[in-house]
Amino acid sequence: MSIVTESPRGACVLGGINDVLGAVDRFCPIYHSGPGCCMQTTAGEHSNSPFLSAVSLPCTNMLEKDVVFGAEKKLRSTIEGAIEIIEADAYFVLVGCTAGIIGEDVESVVRDYREQGKRVYAIDTPGFQGDGLLGYEVVWDAFLDNIVEKGLPKKKGLINLLGIIPFRDPFWSGNFEELTRILRKLGLEVNTFFTEHQGFENIRTSSQAELNIIVNPYLLKSAAERYEKDFGVPSLRFPQLPVGATDTTEFIRLVAERLDIDKKLTERVIAEEEDYVYSYLSYKGESLGWNRFAVVGDSGTATGITRYLANDASQTPLLVVITEPMYRSEDKQRIIDRISDLEYAHPPRIVFESDYYKIIRQLEKFPDIDMIVGSSNEREYCAENGIFCSVMTFPIYDKTIINRSLIGYRGSLTLTEDLYNFN
Amino acid sequence: MISRYDGIRENRPYTYNDAGGQSKDFEQNFRKKCLKNADRTFSQGLQCQQINGLNAIMSLDDSVFISHSPQGCTGCSTLGVIQYRIGQAHRGVNIIRNPRLIATNLDQNDIILGGEKKLTEAVLSAEKRYSPKMIFVVTSCASGIIGDDVDAILKELQKKIKAILIPIHCEGFKSKVCASGFDAFFIALSKYILKGKKSETQKGLINLFAPVSISYKDQLEIERMLGRIGLTANYIPFYSNYENILKIPDAEASTAICKVFADEFMKQLETDYGIPYSHTVMPIGIRNTDKWLRGIAALVGKSDEAERIIEEEHKRIQPQIDRIRQRLQGKRVFICGGTGRSFAAAALIDDYGMKLVGLETPTYDKDAQTDIEHLNSIHGDYTVDIANMQPFEQVNLLKKLDPDVFIGVPTWASKLGIPTTHVLDMKRPTMGYDGILYLGNKIADQIENPGFNKKLAAHSKLPYRQSWYEKDAFKFIKETGGGEI
Repeated sequence: MSIVTESPRGACVLGGINDVLGAVDRFCPIYHSGPGCCMQTTAGEHSNSPFLSAVSLPCTNMLEKDVVFGAEKKLRSTIEGAIEIIEADAYFVLVGCTAGIIGEDVESVVRDYREQGKRVYAIDTPGFQGDGLLGYEVVWDAFLDNIVEKGLPKKKGLINLLGIIPFRDPFWSGNFEELTRILRKLGLEVNTFFTEHQGFENIRTSSQAELNIIVNPYLLKSAAERYEKDFGVPSLRFPQLPVGATDTTEFIRLVAERLDIDKKLTERVIAEEEDYVYSYLSYKGESLGWNRFAVVGDSGTATGITRYLANDASQTPLLVVITEPMYRSEDKQRIIDRISDLEYAHPPRIVFESDYYKIIRQLEKFPDIDMIVGSSNEREYCAENGIFCSVMTFPIYDKTIINRSLIGYRGSLTLTEDLYNFN
Repeated sequence: MISRYDGIRENRPYTYNDAGGQSKDFEQNFRKKCLKNADRTFSQGLQCQQINGLNAIMSLDDSVFISHSPQGCTGCSTLGVIQYRIGQAHRGVNIIRNPRLIATNLDQNDIILGGEKKLTEAVLSAEKRYSPKMIFVVTSCASGIIGDDVDAILKELQKKIKAILIPIHCEGFKSKVCASGFDAFFIALSKYILKGKKSETQKGLINLFAPVSISYKDQLEIERMLGRIGLTANYIPFYSNYENILKIPDAEASTAICKVFADEFMKQLETDYGIPYSHTVMPIGIRNTDKWLRGIAALVGKSDEAERIIEEEHKRIQPQIDRIRQRLQGKRVFICGGTGRSFAAAALIDDYGMKLVGLETPTYDKDAQTDIEHLNSIHGDYTVDIANMQPFEQVNLLKKLDPDVFIGVPTWASKLGIPTTHVLDMKRPTMGYDGILYLGNKIADQIENPGFNKKLAAHSKLPYRQSWYEKDAFKFIKETGGGEI
């Protein structure tokens, strides 16, 4: 279902799988692939994991003879080597195009190791089957198949926070931290799976959660259904990243209502947080001026940023380009509805386009744009046309991001800082 | 021109990519042709040749680059994009461009039905969108295994496309050595652009082949040195263009900045166009820089000028080198790098009186033997790991050898608390006479101030089991039989 794409964003399925495995503490991917896939997926998703990434990832490095004769023996010795030297809590065999096309039976190989009591799992979705976003879906399916435990007692106040893809969201760690901070003020315990050294145990016991909170318009549809059906964990979908006071407050109220959290507590948290934000905006907010803007990026981020700039910052939205390939029309509609539902501003034009050249042609249709919030890819067009460019969406080539957040209450202030410009 | 070299580095005689041991043993065994072919039964991810094939071209002007592959194989193009953007900024370009890269995005249907339709669409889009002079198509594992006949598809398309269509055959699974991808690019250049044509030889014009890892500062320093002996560089392929590529056969001579870059291509230029070449060393450190300059000067009859310049340059920098030497003398060093950089770094540490205790380099071959012989004569016996990265072996060796400084990618050594530094800097100087001083100061400063690494080591842990550090670093290297390929 993939289409020819100029400057595609991110890597293949393996990239998305590796994003997740790289962010969970002490998970070890093992690539059954040609040489190069480890680097390609790490570079393509900017996923330099603190545990294993790029040239540190165990790999069978399949060569021509392996493609002709198969490489099961090599896979076994690589798995055994990985277990021998790498101190991981679980090992996952990923399948590259080479192994996928020749039809290597990785499932039966890993079964042997599991029978010996080792945590070795296969994620048998070869690279050519899709992009990193599919990888994010696939890896959760693998967790649900293999790790998440049935029959555990429910734990009041435990939630699974889903929908932010590590590394693919350049601000993932900060974003998780900000949402966790807010949710904890409501008395909740938060599984992010990727921050604070969360790991295998958090995934295994995620079935104890009261609720999955998915902060994305479409990701994890099937995982959410399985969590509900097989593990009794329902899901609440918030169709974007909540950015700024308005949407974050809405987010909190939805969560609180769903989990029956004390109304007084909820309103006190909201009041505190909004006071914090406006204590700054009350004397710093004017620096923003007035901009007619476009946003180019993935749906969750683009929706959040557009709504913040329009609703909370009184900027004028002209165009939103959603850059993921979208296949389900109901997903598109959910995004269109959410972006169009603005308090005061006129809704912008919304297009779905992942091809770089075509994205630029869309931007050209709005010669009045003063500001583009996009990826590093959009810098060229902005430079050519004297447009202020703030880089906030994937891929980002020109800054190092450690733990800053652009979402929630506090993150929206950081976002606002980044909008100061000469225009 | 049909190339005589097949572009697969490990197919060259006496080439080894998996080995470990002591340098003296390597020297002797190679001389006696007793080195054994081996393979690792456990290894970490390599760099594939497609990564090099694509990154070799991504800063060429007037070009569109097509990756005939699933989306993932454009992953490392991010490195090319970053380098291209930085390179433009350093060259004073105001409006920094993106490289025009199109992925055919092969999926499961294409794996079954073939990718011809998507490749055709990509080529037509490339022409329509940008009217380029050159459209490069790099192949991938997927396109190779499903048997897409890229040459035939492009030959047919060429009839209606103005741009020159250039297939680069760099399927990842075909080679273990990523530098093969550079060769694939040069083979394609010969076959589809140069095609044996040549105008008049331009006196004083030198083909200067340089990989993407060369900073603009290094380019300027190399051009400065060449300028001093009256030569002008045709800098290929980075930030170059179609016209400069066409000038390649008109050069008086060729040389390269990296040992594994264009070495086979220069041989071919000599055969096809009678252009002599100098294939010596990477010009890092005094001895190497001298050797590199002498090599090129000899080809164009400027040896006397070169000697005069070398003397002048030595006089200019020697006092500063002596000062830096006092800070570095006797420090024990472990070096890891690509083929060119690792040996170049080893040469550099001689200028500063440092002692080599370990060397990690991707390939052992005739060229490596020459370097090892020289290094053995200075440093005696030291550990050699023939590996493309393989950080698990590196950290094992580092724990045992406990060097004063690690030269190479710092990611893992830093977590062991070892001071780290590097001679690969894609933004700053490393080469020529000015580069020696820059690197000397950098190494000395970084060794003297290891605070970051010391504190990092106290707070972080590498992913390996404690037991691994007690085992033989080379235990996974298993002989596959036969001393020769």
